[in-house]
Amino acid sequence: MTEQSEGQRDGVWAHRYQLASGQTQRHQLGQIRLWVTLLDMEWQVRQEPLAPDADPLTWHETVGSGMPSSDLPEQRFIRSSGDEGLVRYLPAMAPLPTVIRPYQPLTIPADGRCVLYVGNLLWMQIFLGEQQQALTEFPLATPSKTWLGANTMQGEICYASATYGRLVLEAVPIRPWRAVTPVTINNRRTKPLLLERFNLPTPLLSLHRNERGQLWTPGVVVECETDMSSASLRIEPRVTAAAGDCELIAPAREKLAKGRSLVRAFDHIFG
Amino acid sequence: MFDELQNTLMQIVGSIAWGQWLAAGFLLLLGIVLGTLVARSAGKLAENRISRHHQVMIRRLVFYLVFIIFAMAALREVGFSLQVLLGAAGILTVAIGFASQTSASNIISGLFLVMEKPFEIGDLIEVDATVGEVVAIDLLSVKLRTRDNLYVRIPNETLIKTRVVNRSRFPIRRVDLLIGIAYAEDVERVKELLLSLAEQNTVCLEEPKPFVLVTGFGASSVDLQFSFWVVQEEFLEGRGAMMIEIKKALDEAGIEIPFPHTSVYAGSHSAPFRIQLVDPEPTQNKDRLDADQKN
Repeated sequence: MTEQSEGQRDGVWAHRYQLASGQTQRHQLGQIRLWVTLLDMEWQVRQEPLAPDADPLTWHETVGSGMPSSDLPEQRFIRSSGDEGLVRYLPAMAPLPTVIRPYQPLTIPADGRCVLYVGNLLWMQIFLGEQQQALTEFPLATPSKTWLGANTMQGEICYASATYGRLVLEAVPIRPWRAVTPVTINNRRTKPLLLERFNLPTPLLSLHRNERGQLWTPGVVVECETDMSSASLRIEPRVTAAAGDCELIAPAREKLAKGRSLVRAFDHIFG
Repeated sequence: MFDELQNTLMQIVGSIAWGQWLAAGFLLLLGIVLGTLVARSAGKLAENRISRHHQVMIRRLVFYLVFIIFAMAALREVGFSLQVLLGAAGILTVAIGFASQTSASNIISGLFLVMEKPFEIGDLIEVDATVGEVVAIDLLSVKLRTRDNLYVRIPNETLIKTRVVNRSRFPIRRVDLLIGIAYAEDVERVKELLLSLAEQNTVCLEEPKPFVLVTGFGASSVDLQFSFWVVQEEFLEGRGAMMIEIKKALDEAGIEIPFPHTSVYAGSHSAPFRIQLVDPEPTQNKDRLDADQKN
């Protein structure tokens, strides 16, 4: 079926989009294509995955009056009276911790410090109406999983993400489907630290947007005092100054219980 | 004669303290109702903090505790002395013990099972040839629901004696696939192909790392073991999807998965069989016949 579109625009997180009955909003963001259709009695959401090696830098959004192809699997949601056709898309961090693995292991010299800029995959949450009624959520690329633990009996299931381990902010590509987290690693040991992988507590990170529309999370600081297992991790209260003026766009999925140490929550920081 | 019998009956009926018996019955009933209510509340109270297995245990314990208190009160109400009753119970236990060895053994085995906790309610276990989800752990037996939805009752004694495999104990499991490839194929290439499949498949965990082993040189094929790890809940899905992907990938790469071959020698390695080609005429004739019949 043909779609009559009303021009292609750049999609914006948390923007209030107004749809009329019979209209379909089409998005191409990250490694998925998404169609959100409003009908008299229901909302329909359809998704199609794109090639896993695609790395688009933009978010295209169009609104049209035609229905998307019926071949696509659809999710249907009964429309509530108060939504008035308003729809918002909010980003969210991964619901599980993420193991970050640099493509090439990085050695941090004794008593050295480095800041890695990591691009984290985002989930998209769809909210309806002024009441912010949650409709559904999904990742903007298919994440792979991994096991992080001392053995195959004790540990936790995490998402896995490979990173180039960029050390210069200017080299980090800014993509609307990824949020940048500056990870500071302080090696206070007398020996060099070989960084093969580390665990990022993504459910505890909030999302912030700067003036250029880029998404950032507060920085994470890892202090390695004596050995890998005694490393401590803390989340900085604010977003790094390099990001510019930022506004909170989505709170963290989980809040750390008061008095609970982050080290205990993430025992295996370095895998 | 009939009058005497009637009088005796009237005397017996008259001598029974009906009020006490009614009160005792009421106490027992109250015990059951209150026990159920208190057990349910206790289970709900701890619902979010403990596993389903412990929740069921707590509910059962609370129910029996409340019920026993009310049963004792009911016995006192009727006039039984608890001391005498407990003394009699001691003698009775010996008698009953001999009479119901199997039940007693099951009860004791059940207690050991609860203490040892080799599995919990909701776990997928394998006992002898039965694989099923544990739906109840009771005084005498454990109930399983098999994958084809059959209800299986296994006595606790059997579970203590036999080998039990708990498939749900650890969060991740390894899938081992045995693949045979033709002798003419490059094993290194097949190994790379299989590892790249594991890398692309999102059900496969990145770590522990997947691996490929050559396990033997079979009668018709080089036998490989392809192992990768999946989240326990995705075991079946992961194995099935991977087998389809392997078949597709090997077909696309032109790698042969051989069926059993048998080589027949005519007594000497060097003397080949004489082969004579037969004219495929009968098939053509058959087609013509079918066509003729239609006309």
